[in-house]
Amino acid sequence: MPNVGAELASVPLGKMIYDMASAIARSQVALDKASIQLVKVLAATTFDYVPDVTEVLLPNPKTIPGVHDSFGNPLVVTGVQVQTHVGDSFPLTLLQAGVNPTFYAFTNSTIEVKMSITSTQESSNTFSVGVSVTASADFLFASGSVTSHVNFTSANKYSYSVTGSSTMSTTLAPVPPPKNMMPRFFLVNAIDPAKVTVSQS
Amino acid sequence: MAFQMYMVAFDGEFSDATSRSVQHRIRECNGFTLMVMKTGVIAAFDDAMVPTVQGHPAVKLVGGVTLNPRGFAAERLQRIFAQNLSKQIEVRPEPGSPR
Repeated sequence: MPNVGAELASVPLGKMIYDMASAIARSQVALDKASIQLVKVLAATTFDYVPDVTEVLLPNPKTIPGVHDSFGNPLVVTGVQVQTHVGDSFPLTLLQAGVNPTFYAFTNSTIEVKMSITSTQESSNTFSVGVSVTASADFLFASGSVTSHVNFTSANKYSYSVTGSSTMSTTLAPVPPPKNMMPRFFLVNAIDPAKVTVSQS
Repeated sequence: MAFQMYMVAFDGEFSDATSRSVQHRIRECNGFTLMVMKTGVIAAFDDAMVPTVQGHPAVKLVGGVTLNPRGFAAERLQRIFAQNLSKQIEVRPEPGSPR
């Protein structure tokens, strides 16, 4: 008879869990290394940031040649002149500007083991008995014989099969950057040096 | 299909030809270039295309990035991304729709 418990016990579940956890840990390290590498790239990538552009609107009255008002004076219309002042640009890193690297983490992992055990047994027996009786009688003699036969056949068929399959799945999700891996930004206001703002992505 | 924003860092010295070639590869992957810098480009493309972009000989690193809304120039970057994206998106009328 099949022993289901023994078959289940033979599944190397512990090794499967260890192998999967080990693979996840190696992948996590590789992903973190790639993200840290990206932090360095973002911190080293600068672009010229123009903090402000000031536009000043100034009055710019104009007379329209050949056009006069009802009093005969040259017609004056209000014009406008725009003076643009572009602030000095300064280099800003992508990290300062607000581009953060994406960190990933394995959130949950599942190991599913399916096992199918099939056992069939067929048994057939045939039993036949035959008896033949012959008798003869004469004047002085009489004879008789009895013969019998017994046939017995027995057939047994056994079949036993075990099939198994396993599925491993894991979920990779983006997570906020770990604080220890992101730099802190110190903003020192030179006008009022006592005011220092510390921020972190 | 999961579109994500990536930093595509160049390998080696910057050149216009290299930058254009990488941007062309991103376009071939149905991606969009959002911002171009001397050390790389910020682009948006399907995450299934990461190996293809990474396979470009001038690409050193491809890594997912997000825009932190509290960043110093986050709003400015968002506008730059939107402007550059609008130049690459082709809007076509749907078949049968009135022109």
